[in-house]
Amino acid sequence: MKKRWPGFLLIVVLLLAWEFASANRMIDPITFPRVSVIFAAWMKAVAGTGELTRQLMPSMGRIFAGFSLAALVAVPLGLLMGTIPMVYRLLEPITEFIRPIPSSAYIPVAILFLGIGNEMKIFVIFLACMFPILLNTYGGVRGVDPVLIDTGRTFGLSRVKSLWRIILPAALPNILTGMRISLGIALIVAVVAEMITGNSGIGYFILDMQRIFRVPEMFAGIFTLGLLGFLINFAFLRVEGHFLRWRGASVET
Amino acid sequence: MTITQEVQTDAPRPAPIIEVRNAAKRFSVNGQSLTVFDGVSCAIPQGAFLSIVGPSGCGKSTLLKLISGLEAPSGGEILFNGAKVTGPAQGMIYVFQQYTKSIFPWRTVIQNIEFGLNSHKKKLSRSARADLCRHYVKLVGLEGYENYFPYQLSGGMQQRVVIARALICEPAVLLMDEPFSAVDALTRAILQELLLKIWQTIPVTILFVTHDVEEAVFLSSRIISLSKSPAKIHEDVAIDLPYPRDQIATRADERFHELRQQLFASIFLQEKGGAPGASPSVKA
Repeated sequence: MKKRWPGFLLIVVLLLAWEFASANRMIDPITFPRVSVIFAAWMKAVAGTGELTRQLMPSMGRIFAGFSLAALVAVPLGLLMGTIPMVYRLLEPITEFIRPIPSSAYIPVAILFLGIGNEMKIFVIFLACMFPILLNTYGGVRGVDPVLIDTGRTFGLSRVKSLWRIILPAALPNILTGMRISLGIALIVAVVAEMITGNSGIGYFILDMQRIFRVPEMFAGIFTLGLLGFLINFAFLRVEGHFLRWRGASVET
Repeated sequence: MTITQEVQTDAPRPAPIIEVRNAAKRFSVNGQSLTVFDGVSCAIPQGAFLSIVGPSGCGKSTLLKLISGLEAPSGGEILFNGAKVTGPAQGMIYVFQQYTKSIFPWRTVIQNIEFGLNSHKKKLSRSARADLCRHYVKLVGLEGYENYFPYQLSGGMQQRVVIARALICEPAVLLMDEPFSAVDALTRAILQELLLKIWQTIPVTILFVTHDVEEAVFLSSRIISLSKSPAKIHEDVAIDLPYPRDQIATRADERFHELRQQLFASIFLQEKGGAPGASPSVKA
Protein backbone atom coordinates (compact mmCIF):
# COMPACT_ATOMS: atom_id res chain seq x y z
CA MET A 1 0.00 0.00 0.00
CA LYS A 2 2.88 2.32 0.84
CA LYS A 3 4.06 2.70 -2.74
CA ARG A 4 0.63 3.50 -4.09
CA TRP A 5 0.20 6.96 -2.62
CA PRO A 6 1.49 8.82 -5.72
CA GLY A 7 -1.32 7.24 -7.73
CA PHE A 8 -3.95 8.34 -5.25
CA LEU A 9 -2.37 11.76 -5.07
CA LEU A 10 -2.74 12.09 -8.84
CA ILE A 11 -6.45 11.34 -8.57
CA VAL A 12 -6.83 14.05 -5.92
CA VAL A 13 -4.87 16.53 -8.06
CA LEU A 14 -7.04 15.80 -11.11
CA LEU A 15 -10.24 16.20 -9.09
CA LEU A 16 -8.98 19.49 -7.71
CA ALA A 17 -8.11 20.66 -11.23
CA TRP A 18 -11.61 19.70 -12.35
CA GLU A 19 -13.11 21.60 -9.41
CA PHE A 20 -11.03 24.66 -10.19
CA ALA A 21 -11.69 24.58 -13.96
CA SER A 22 -15.41 24.17 -13.48
CA ALA A 23 -15.64 26.88 -10.82
CA ASN A 24 -13.80 29.30 -13.11
CA ARG A 25 -15.83 28.32 -16.16
CA MET A 26 -12.80 27.00 -18.03
CA ILE A 27 -14.99 23.98 -18.72
CA ASP A 28 -18.75 24.13 -19.05
CA PRO A 29 -20.06 23.87 -15.48
CA ILE A 30 -23.36 22.48 -16.72
CA THR A 31 -21.82 19.51 -18.54
CA PHE A 32 -19.02 19.19 -15.97
CA PRO A 33 -20.34 20.35 -12.60
CA ARG A 34 -17.85 21.08 -9.85
CA VAL A 35 -16.56 17.99 -8.10
CA SER A 36 -17.87 19.33 -4.81
CA VAL A 37 -21.35 19.56 -6.32
CA ILE A 38 -21.07 16.00 -7.64
CA PHE A 39 -19.85 14.82 -4.26
CA ALA A 40 -22.76 16.54 -2.50
CA ALA A 41 -25.18 14.93 -4.96
CA TRP A 42 -23.48 11.59 -4.40
CA MET A 43 -23.77 11.89 -0.62
CA LYS A 44 -27.41 12.76 -0.94
CA ALA A 45 -28.17 9.97 -3.39
CA VAL A 46 -26.36 7.44 -1.27
CA ALA A 47 -27.05 8.49 2.31
CA GLY A 48 -29.95 10.93 1.95
CA THR A 49 -32.60 9.81 -0.50
CA GLY A 50 -30.90 6.47 -1.08
CA GLU A 51 -31.90 6.52 -4.76
CA LEU A 52 -28.42 5.47 -5.83
CA THR A 53 -28.03 2.79 -3.17
CA ARG A 54 -31.34 1.32 -4.24
CA GLN A 55 -30.08 0.98 -7.81
CA LEU A 56 -26.78 -0.52 -6.74
CA MET A 57 -28.29 -3.66 -5.31
CA PRO A 58 -30.09 -4.90 -8.46
CA SER A 59 -26.92 -4.42 -10.50
CA MET A 60 -24.76 -6.30 -8.03
CA GLY A 61 -27.30 -9.08 -7.78
CA ARG A 62 -27.30 -9.53 -11.55
CA ILE A 63 -23.53 -9.44 -11.77
CA PHE A 64 -23.21 -11.98 -8.99
CA ALA A 65 -25.86 -14.30 -10.45
CA GLY A 66 -24.54 -14.16 -14.01
CA PHE A 67 -20.94 -14.56 -12.93
CA SER A 68 -21.65 -17.45 -10.58
CA LEU A 69 -23.65 -19.32 -13.20
CA ALA A 70 -20.86 -18.78 -15.70
CA ALA A 71 -18.24 -20.09 -13.28
CA LEU A 72 -20.38 -23.12 -12.46
CA VAL A 73 -20.71 -24.01 -16.13
CA ALA A 74 -17.37 -22.88 -17.53
CA VAL A 75 -15.00 -24.45 -14.99
CA PRO A 76 -16.30 -28.05 -15.36
CA LEU A 77 -16.63 -27.59 -19.11
CA GLY A 78 -13.09 -26.24 -19.34
CA LEU A 79 -11.78 -29.15 -17.29
CA LEU A 80 -13.47 -31.60 -19.65
CA MET A 81 -12.21 -29.77 -22.72
CA GLY A 82 -8.71 -29.75 -21.32
CA THR A 83 -8.63 -33.43 -20.40
CA ILE A 84 -10.76 -35.20 -23.01
CA PRO A 85 -9.56 -34.52 -26.58
CA MET A 86 -12.94 -35.54 -28.03
CA VAL A 87 -14.78 -32.89 -26.00
CA TYR A 88 -12.19 -30.33 -27.03
CA ARG A 89 -12.56 -31.13 -30.71
CA LEU A 90 -16.33 -30.99 -30.36
CA LEU A 91 -16.56 -27.65 -28.56
CA GLU A 92 -13.51 -25.73 -29.71
CA PRO A 93 -14.93 -24.50 -33.07
CA ILE A 94 -18.18 -23.28 -31.59
CA THR A 95 -16.32 -21.55 -28.78
CA GLU A 96 -14.05 -19.80 -31.21
CA PHE A 97 -17.06 -18.69 -33.24
CA ILE A 98 -19.17 -17.30 -30.41
CA ARG A 99 -16.29 -15.83 -28.42
CA PRO A 100 -15.44 -12.86 -30.69
CA ILE A 101 -19.03 -11.61 -30.79
CA PRO A 102 -19.30 -8.65 -28.40
CA SER A 103 -21.61 -9.72 -25.62
CA SER A 104 -23.75 -6.58 -25.98
CA ALA A 105 -24.71 -7.88 -29.41
CA TYR A 106 -26.63 -10.73 -27.78
CA ILE A 107 -28.91 -8.32 -25.97
CA PRO A 108 -31.45 -7.92 -28.81
CA VAL A 109 -31.65 -11.71 -29.22
CA ALA A 110 -31.89 -12.22 -25.48
CA ILE A 111 -34.75 -9.72 -25.31
CA LEU A 112 -36.66 -11.78 -27.90
CA PHE A 113 -36.26 -14.91 -25.82
CA LEU A 114 -36.32 -13.68 -22.28
CA GLY A 115 -38.00 -10.29 -22.36
CA ILE A 116 -36.57 -7.22 -20.72
CA GLY A 117 -36.49 -8.43 -17.13
CA ASN A 118 -33.82 -9.79 -14.88
CA GLU A 119 -33.53 -13.13 -16.66
CA MET A 120 -32.35 -11.46 -19.85
CA LYS A 121 -29.73 -9.40 -18.07
CA ILE A 122 -28.44 -12.32 -16.06
CA PHE A 123 -28.30 -14.42 -19.21
CA VAL A 124 -26.27 -11.83 -21.09
CA ILE A 125 -23.88 -11.40 -18.16
CA PHE A 126 -23.60 -15.19 -17.91
CA LEU A 127 -22.73 -15.49 -21.58
CA ALA A 128 -20.16 -12.70 -21.40
CA CYS A 129 -18.50 -14.23 -18.33
CA MET A 130 -18.43 -17.75 -19.79
CA PHE A 131 -15.67 -17.36 -22.33
CA PRO A 132 -12.85 -15.84 -20.31
CA ILE A 133 -13.36 -18.51 -17.64
CA LEU A 134 -13.72 -21.32 -20.17
CA LEU A 135 -10.68 -20.32 -22.19
CA ASN A 136 -8.48 -19.82 -19.18
CA THR A 137 -9.63 -23.07 -17.60
CA TYR A 138 -8.84 -25.28 -20.53
CA GLY A 139 -5.70 -23.33 -21.27
CA GLY A 140 -4.63 -23.94 -17.69
CA VAL A 141 -5.51 -27.62 -17.85
CA ARG A 142 -3.56 -28.12 -21.05
CA GLY A 143 -0.61 -26.39 -19.45
CA VAL A 144 -0.42 -28.77 -16.49
CA ASP A 145 2.99 -30.42 -16.52
CA PRO A 146 2.80 -34.09 -17.60
CA VAL A 147 5.24 -34.95 -14.79
CA LEU A 148 2.61 -33.82 -12.28
CA ILE A 149 -0.02 -36.05 -13.87
CA ASP A 150 2.41 -38.99 -14.05
CA THR A 151 3.18 -38.43 -10.37
CA GLY A 152 -0.50 -38.97 -9.67
CA ARG A 153 -0.46 -42.08 -11.85
CA THR A 154 2.48 -43.66 -10.09
CA PHE A 155 0.62 -43.16 -6.79
CA GLY A 156 -2.36 -44.98 -8.24
CA LEU A 157 -4.69 -42.01 -8.66
CA SER A 158 -7.71 -42.67 -10.88
CA ARG A 159 -8.45 -40.26 -13.72
CA VAL A 160 -11.35 -38.69 -11.87
CA LYS A 161 -9.32 -38.24 -8.70
CA SER A 162 -6.46 -36.84 -10.72
CA LEU A 163 -8.82 -34.26 -12.21
CA TRP A 164 -9.89 -33.17 -8.77
CA ARG A 165 -6.65 -33.44 -6.84
CA ILE A 166 -4.02 -32.54 -9.42
CA ILE A 167 -5.42 -30.88 -12.52
CA LEU A 168 -7.85 -28.53 -10.80
CA PRO A 169 -5.38 -27.12 -8.26
CA ALA A 170 -2.63 -26.92 -10.90
CA ALA A 171 -4.92 -24.98 -13.24
CA LEU A 172 -6.33 -22.81 -10.45
CA PRO A 173 -4.13 -19.76 -11.13
CA ASN A 174 -5.42 -19.64 -14.71
CA ILE A 175 -9.00 -20.27 -13.66
CA LEU A 176 -8.89 -17.41 -11.17
CA THR A 177 -7.37 -15.10 -13.78
CA GLY A 178 -10.27 -15.96 -16.09
CA MET A 179 -12.72 -15.19 -13.31
CA ARG A 180 -11.15 -11.83 -12.62
CA ILE A 181 -11.37 -10.86 -16.28
CA SER A 182 -14.99 -12.01 -16.28
CA LEU A 183 -15.92 -9.85 -13.32
CA GLY A 184 -14.70 -6.77 -15.16
CA ILE A 185 -16.70 -7.71 -18.23
CA ALA A 186 -19.77 -8.48 -16.10
CA LEU A 187 -19.85 -4.91 -14.85
CA ILE A 188 -19.67 -3.53 -18.39
CA VAL A 189 -22.36 -5.81 -19.75
CA ALA A 190 -24.67 -5.21 -16.77
CA VAL A 191 -24.51 -1.45 -17.31
CA VAL A 192 -25.10 -1.75 -21.05
CA ALA A 193 -28.05 -4.11 -20.56
CA GLU A 194 -29.55 -1.82 -17.94
CA MET A 195 -29.18 1.18 -20.22
CA ILE A 196 -30.89 -0.53 -23.12
CA THR A 197 -33.83 -1.91 -21.19
CA GLY A 198 -35.23 -1.87 -17.72
CA ASN A 199 -36.11 0.34 -14.85
CA SER A 200 -33.53 -0.52 -12.25
CA GLY A 201 -29.80 -0.79 -11.82
CA ILE A 202 -26.93 1.60 -11.89
CA GLY A 203 -26.81 1.69 -15.68
CA TYR A 204 -30.45 2.69 -15.74
CA PHE A 205 -29.80 5.30 -13.05
CA ILE A 206 -26.99 6.96 -15.03
CA LEU A 207 -29.02 7.14 -18.23
CA ASP A 208 -32.11 8.32 -16.38
CA MET A 209 -30.22 11.12 -14.65
CA GLN A 210 -28.78 12.22 -17.98
CA ARG A 211 -32.24 12.31 -19.54
CA ILE A 212 -33.76 14.44 -16.79
CA PHE A 213 -30.64 16.56 -16.78
CA ARG A 214 -29.48 15.90 -13.25
CA VAL A 215 -25.87 15.98 -14.35
CA PRO A 216 -24.25 15.84 -10.85
CA GLU A 217 -26.24 12.68 -10.07
CA MET A 218 -25.23 11.22 -13.43
CA PHE A 219 -21.57 11.73 -12.56
CA ALA A 220 -22.20 10.36 -9.09
CA GLY A 221 -23.45 7.19 -10.76
CA ILE A 222 -20.41 6.96 -13.01
CA PHE A 223 -18.01 7.47 -10.12
CA THR A 224 -19.89 4.84 -8.18
CA LEU A 225 -19.23 2.43 -11.02
CA GLY A 226 -15.54 3.20 -10.87
CA LEU A 227 -15.51 2.61 -7.15
CA LEU A 228 -17.54 -0.57 -7.51
CA GLY A 229 -15.19 -1.98 -10.14
CA PHE A 230 -12.21 -1.13 -7.97
CA LEU A 231 -13.73 -2.80 -4.92
CA ILE A 232 -14.75 -5.95 -6.82
CA ASN A 233 -11.26 -6.29 -8.21
CA PHE A 234 -9.68 -5.63 -4.85
CA ALA A 235 -11.88 -8.19 -3.13
CA PHE A 236 -11.16 -10.75 -5.81
CA LEU A 237 -7.42 -10.20 -5.56
CA ARG A 238 -7.71 -10.96 -1.86
CA VAL A 239 -9.56 -14.17 -2.65
CA GLU A 240 -6.93 -15.03 -5.26
CA GLY A 241 -4.14 -14.27 -2.82
CA HIS A 242 -5.68 -16.64 -0.33
CA PHE A 243 -6.12 -19.53 -2.76
CA LEU A 244 -2.73 -19.00 -4.35
CA ARG A 245 -0.76 -18.34 -1.18
CA TRP A 246 1.38 -21.32 -2.14
CA ARG A 247 2.83 -19.27 -4.97
CA GLY A 248 4.46 -16.95 -2.51
CA ALA A 249 5.46 -13.45 -3.46
CA SER A 250 4.37 -13.76 -7.06
CA VAL A 251 0.84 -12.69 -6.14
CA GLU A 252 0.67 -8.92 -6.05
CA THR A 253 -2.33 -7.06 -4.73
CA MET B 1 21.10 -59.19 -29.31
CA THR B 2 20.86 -59.50 -25.59
CA ILE B 3 23.87 -59.89 -23.42
CA THR B 4 22.92 -60.70 -19.88
CA GLN B 5 25.73 -61.59 -17.59
CA GLU B 6 24.38 -63.10 -14.46
CA VAL B 7 25.81 -61.88 -11.20
CA GLN B 8 28.18 -64.34 -9.67
CA THR B 9 27.25 -64.80 -6.05
CA ASP B 10 27.53 -67.80 -3.79
CA ALA B 11 24.49 -66.90 -1.71
CA PRO B 12 21.15 -68.46 -2.74
CA ARG B 13 19.52 -66.01 -5.06
CA PRO B 14 16.05 -64.77 -3.99
CA ALA B 15 13.25 -64.84 -6.53
CA PRO B 16 13.37 -61.79 -8.79
CA ILE B 17 10.90 -59.10 -7.87
CA ILE B 18 11.12 -57.61 -11.35
CA GLU B 19 11.78 -59.38 -14.59
CA VAL B 20 12.30 -57.64 -17.88
CA ARG B 21 11.78 -59.99 -20.80
CA ASN B 22 12.86 -58.93 -24.26
CA ALA B 23 11.60 -55.41 -23.70
CA ALA B 24 11.59 -53.11 -26.69
CA LYS B 25 10.72 -49.45 -27.09
CA ARG B 26 10.25 -47.66 -30.35
CA PHE B 27 9.25 -44.04 -30.85
CA SER B 28 7.98 -42.37 -33.94
CA VAL B 29 9.96 -39.20 -34.51
CA ASN B 30 9.07 -37.08 -37.55
CA GLY B 31 7.49 -40.10 -39.17
CA GLN B 32 10.62 -42.18 -38.63
CA SER B 33 10.57 -45.13 -36.33
CA LEU B 34 13.32 -44.89 -33.75
CA THR B 35 14.38 -47.86 -31.70
CA VAL B 36 15.52 -46.89 -28.22
CA PHE B 37 16.21 -50.49 -27.34
CA ASP B 38 15.15 -53.93 -28.40
CA GLY B 39 15.44 -57.24 -26.61
CA VAL B 40 16.55 -56.04 -23.20
CA SER B 41 16.23 -58.70 -20.51
CA CYS B 42 17.22 -58.72 -16.88
CA ALA B 43 16.04 -60.00 -13.54
CA ILE B 44 16.16 -57.86 -10.43
CA PRO B 45 16.31 -59.71 -7.11
CA GLN B 46 14.30 -58.58 -4.15
CA GLY B 47 16.09 -56.15 -1.90
CA ALA B 48 18.69 -55.11 -4.46
CA PHE B 49 20.01 -51.63 -4.93
CA LEU B 50 20.49 -51.75 -8.64
CA SER B 51 21.77 -48.86 -10.68
CA ILE B 52 21.37 -48.47 -14.40
CA VAL B 53 24.13 -46.37 -15.89
CA GLY B 54 24.86 -45.31 -19.41
CA PRO B 55 25.37 -42.26 -21.60
CA SER B 56 22.58 -39.71 -21.71
CA GLY B 57 19.96 -40.59 -24.28
CA CYS B 58 20.71 -44.31 -24.12
CA GLY B 59 17.22 -45.09 -22.92
CA LYS B 60 17.81 -45.80 -19.25
CA SER B 61 15.00 -43.50 -18.16
CA THR B 62 12.76 -45.09 -20.76
CA LEU B 63 13.55 -48.54 -19.38
CA LEU B 64 12.64 -47.32 -15.91
CA LYS B 65 9.36 -45.86 -17.22
CA LEU B 66 8.49 -49.21 -18.81
CA ILE B 67 9.19 -51.05 -15.58
CA SER B 68 7.00 -48.58 -13.66
CA GLY B 69 4.11 -49.13 -16.05
CA LEU B 70 3.87 -45.40 -16.80
CA GLU B 71 4.75 -46.27 -20.39
CA ALA B 72 3.95 -49.43 -22.28
CA PRO B 73 6.71 -51.39 -24.02
CA SER B 74 6.55 -51.77 -27.81
CA GLY B 75 7.54 -55.38 -27.41
CA GLY B 76 8.34 -57.90 -24.73
CA GLU B 77 7.00 -57.76 -21.20
CA ILE B 78 7.72 -56.67 -17.66
CA LEU B 79 6.86 -58.87 -14.70
CA PHE B 80 6.44 -57.50 -11.19
CA ASN B 81 6.15 -60.20 -8.53
CA GLY B 82 5.43 -62.60 -11.36
CA ALA B 83 2.49 -60.60 -12.74
CA LYS B 84 2.61 -58.75 -16.02
CA VAL B 85 2.79 -54.96 -15.68
CA THR B 86 0.03 -53.28 -17.69
CA GLY B 87 -0.11 -49.91 -15.99
CA PRO B 88 1.21 -48.12 -12.90
CA ALA B 89 1.33 -50.98 -10.41
CA GLN B 90 0.69 -50.64 -6.74
CA GLY B 91 3.88 -51.27 -4.85
CA MET B 92 6.11 -49.49 -7.36
CA ILE B 93 6.70 -45.77 -7.05
CA TYR B 94 8.51 -43.71 -9.66
CA VAL B 95 10.59 -40.80 -8.42
CA PHE B 96 11.00 -38.26 -11.19
CA GLN B 97 14.21 -36.54 -12.13
CA GLN B 98 12.43 -33.18 -12.23
CA TYR B 99 11.43 -33.05 -8.58
CA THR B 100 10.44 -29.38 -8.89
CA LYS B 101 7.78 -30.48 -11.37
CA SER B 102 6.76 -33.54 -9.42
CA ILE B 103 6.20 -31.87 -6.05
CA PHE B 104 2.72 -30.41 -5.56
CA PRO B 105 3.32 -26.68 -5.13
CA TRP B 106 -0.09 -26.07 -3.57
CA ARG B 107 0.52 -28.60 -0.81
CA THR B 108 2.67 -28.03 2.23
CA VAL B 109 5.51 -30.39 3.08
CA ILE B 110 3.32 -32.54 5.28
CA GLN B 111 0.45 -32.51 2.78
CA ASN B 112 2.81 -33.53 -0.02
CA ILE B 113 4.08 -36.43 2.04
CA GLU B 114 0.55 -37.41 3.00
CA PHE B 115 -0.33 -37.66 -0.68
CA GLY B 116 1.80 -40.81 -0.83
CA LEU B 117 -0.70 -42.55 1.44
CA ASN B 118 -3.04 -42.69 -1.56
CA SER B 119 -1.09 -45.67 -2.68
CA HIS B 120 -0.89 -47.33 0.71
CA LYS B 121 -1.98 -50.95 0.93
CA LYS B 122 -4.10 -50.44 4.02
CA LYS B 123 -6.91 -48.08 4.91
CA LEU B 124 -5.59 -46.01 7.75
CA SER B 125 -7.26 -44.03 10.47
CA ARG B 126 -6.77 -40.30 10.67
CA SER B 127 -4.38 -40.55 13.60
CA ALA B 128 -2.42 -43.39 12.01
CA ARG B 129 -1.99 -41.25 8.90
CA ALA B 130 -0.78 -38.32 10.96
CA ASP B 131 1.66 -40.55 12.85
CA LEU B 132 3.07 -41.98 9.63
CA CYS B 133 3.47 -38.52 8.16
CA ARG B 134 5.36 -37.35 11.22
CA HIS B 135 7.55 -40.43 11.10
CA TYR B 136 8.56 -39.85 7.49
CA VAL B 137 9.08 -36.14 8.01
CA LYS B 138 11.56 -37.13 10.68
CA LEU B 139 13.12 -39.86 8.56
CA VAL B 140 14.10 -37.40 5.85
CA GLY B 141 15.03 -34.73 8.36
CA LEU B 142 12.36 -32.14 7.66
CA GLU B 143 11.12 -31.54 11.20
CA GLY B 144 10.10 -27.95 11.67
CA TYR B 145 9.29 -27.53 7.97
CA GLU B 146 5.98 -29.41 8.00
CA ASN B 147 3.88 -26.40 7.07
CA TYR B 148 6.22 -24.86 4.53
CA PHE B 149 5.18 -24.64 0.90
CA PRO B 150 7.62 -26.00 -1.70
CA TYR B 151 8.55 -22.52 -2.96
CA GLN B 152 9.96 -21.82 0.50
CA LEU B 153 12.31 -24.82 0.34
CA SER B 154 15.71 -25.42 -1.22
CA GLY B 155 16.12 -27.98 -3.99
CA GLY B 156 17.58 -30.57 -1.63
CA MET B 157 14.69 -30.17 0.78
CA GLN B 158 12.17 -30.50 -2.03
CA GLN B 159 13.90 -33.71 -3.06
CA ARG B 160 13.57 -34.99 0.51
CA VAL B 161 9.85 -34.27 0.40
CA VAL B 162 9.54 -36.22 -2.84
CA ILE B 163 11.47 -39.16 -1.36
CA ALA B 164 9.36 -39.17 1.82
CA ARG B 165 6.19 -39.04 -0.27
CA ALA B 166 7.40 -42.09 -2.19
CA LEU B 167 8.45 -44.02 0.91
CA ILE B 168 5.37 -43.42 3.03
CA CYS B 169 3.27 -45.86 1.04
CA GLU B 170 5.88 -48.53 1.80
CA PRO B 171 6.56 -49.47 -1.81
CA ALA B 172 8.23 -52.76 -2.63
CA VAL B 173 10.15 -51.05 -5.41
CA LEU B 174 11.40 -47.51 -5.72
CA LEU B 175 12.23 -46.42 -9.26
CA MET B 176 14.48 -43.39 -9.14
CA ASP B 177 15.36 -41.45 -12.28
CA GLU B 178 18.54 -39.44 -11.67
CA PRO B 179 17.04 -38.08 -8.48
CA PHE B 180 20.13 -36.21 -7.36
CA SER B 181 21.34 -34.83 -10.67
CA ALA B 182 19.93 -31.36 -10.04
CA VAL B 183 21.19 -30.70 -6.52
CA ASP B 184 24.59 -29.41 -5.49
CA ALA B 185 27.42 -31.83 -4.72
CA LEU B 186 27.26 -31.58 -0.94
CA THR B 187 23.48 -32.01 -0.80
CA ARG B 188 23.85 -34.93 -3.17
CA ALA B 189 26.34 -36.62 -0.85
CA ILE B 190 23.99 -36.15 2.10
CA LEU B 191 20.98 -37.42 0.17
CA GLN B 192 22.96 -40.45 -1.04
CA GLU B 193 23.75 -41.44 2.52
CA LEU B 194 20.17 -40.81 3.56
CA LEU B 195 18.90 -43.03 0.77
CA LEU B 196 21.29 -45.82 1.71
CA LYS B 197 20.26 -45.55 5.35
CA ILE B 198 16.60 -45.84 4.38
CA TRP B 199 17.30 -48.74 2.04
CA GLN B 200 19.02 -50.60 4.84
CA THR B 201 16.25 -49.86 7.34
CA ILE B 202 13.21 -50.80 5.29
CA PRO B 203 12.69 -53.70 2.88
CA VAL B 204 12.67 -51.88 -0.41
CA THR B 205 14.21 -52.69 -3.77
CA ILE B 206 15.69 -49.66 -5.45
CA LEU B 207 16.25 -49.17 -9.15
CA PHE B 208 18.38 -46.15 -9.62
CA VAL B 209 19.10 -44.50 -12.95
CA THR B 210 22.16 -42.28 -13.13
CA HIS B 211 24.79 -41.16 -15.60
CA ASP B 212 27.28 -40.80 -12.76
CA VAL B 213 29.37 -43.98 -12.47
CA GLU B 214 30.85 -42.91 -9.15
CA GLU B 215 27.42 -42.36 -7.64
CA ALA B 216 26.31 -45.76 -8.92
CA VAL B 217 29.32 -47.54 -7.40
CA PHE B 218 28.86 -45.80 -4.08
CA LEU B 219 25.19 -46.69 -3.78
CA SER B 220 24.59 -49.96 -5.54
CA SER B 221 24.79 -53.63 -4.82
CA ARG B 222 24.71 -54.20 -8.54
CA ILE B 223 25.15 -52.08 -11.65
CA ILE B 224 23.85 -52.61 -15.15
CA SER B 225 25.35 -50.47 -17.86
CA LEU B 226 23.51 -49.79 -21.07
CA SER B 227 25.19 -49.11 -24.38
CA LYS B 228 24.31 -46.27 -26.69
CA SER B 229 20.97 -46.30 -28.49
CA PRO B 230 19.64 -48.75 -29.60
CA ALA B 231 20.63 -49.80 -26.14
CA LYS B 232 21.49 -53.22 -24.89
CA ILE B 233 22.90 -54.39 -21.62
CA HIS B 234 26.60 -53.90 -21.89
CA GLU B 235 27.73 -54.91 -18.42
CA ASP B 236 26.20 -56.35 -15.31
CA VAL B 237 28.48 -56.00 -12.33
CA ALA B 238 28.03 -56.91 -8.68
CA ILE B 239 29.47 -54.29 -6.33
CA ASP B 240 31.09 -56.13 -3.47
CA LEU B 241 31.73 -53.14 -1.22
CA PRO B 242 30.43 -53.77 2.28
CA TYR B 243 27.42 -51.95 3.68
CA PRO B 244 26.90 -49.67 5.56
CA ARG B 245 28.78 -47.37 3.27
CA ASP B 246 30.20 -44.04 4.25
CA GLN B 247 30.92 -41.01 2.08
CA ILE B 248 34.44 -40.69 3.44
CA ALA B 249 35.54 -44.23 4.21
CA THR B 250 33.92 -46.00 1.25
CA ARG B 251 35.17 -43.43 -1.21
CA ALA B 252 38.67 -43.87 0.19
CA ASP B 253 38.46 -47.63 -0.24
CA GLU B 254 40.78 -49.02 -2.88
CA ARG B 255 38.16 -51.42 -4.12
CA PHE B 256 35.82 -48.45 -4.70
CA HIS B 257 38.33 -46.85 -7.06
CA GLU B 258 39.04 -50.12 -8.75
CA LEU B 259 35.38 -50.76 -9.47
CA ARG B 260 34.74 -47.20 -10.57
CA GLN B 261 37.77 -47.22 -12.83
CA GLN B 262 36.91 -50.56 -14.33
CA LEU B 263 33.32 -49.62 -15.00
CA PHE B 264 34.18 -46.21 -16.32
CA ALA B 265 36.79 -47.60 -18.68
CA SER B 266 34.40 -50.20 -19.97
CA ILE B 267 31.65 -47.67 -20.65
CA PHE B 268 34.01 -45.10 -22.05
CA LEU B 269 35.71 -47.51 -24.45
CA GLN B 270 32.41 -48.90 -25.54
CA GLU B 271 31.15 -45.39 -26.21
CA LYS B 272 34.24 -44.36 -28.06
CA GLY B 273 34.32 -47.57 -30.03
CA GLY B 274 30.89 -46.94 -31.48
CA ALA B 275 31.11 -44.51 -34.38
CA PRO B 276 30.04 -41.17 -32.92
CA GLY B 277 26.71 -40.00 -34.27
CA ALA B 278 26.23 -43.19 -36.27
CA SER B 279 23.10 -44.09 -34.41
CA PRO B 280 20.63 -41.40 -33.57
CA SER B 281 19.93 -41.00 -29.91
CA VAL B 282 16.81 -39.74 -28.33
CA LYS B 283 16.39 -38.06 -24.97
CA ALA B 284 13.88 -40.21 -23.26
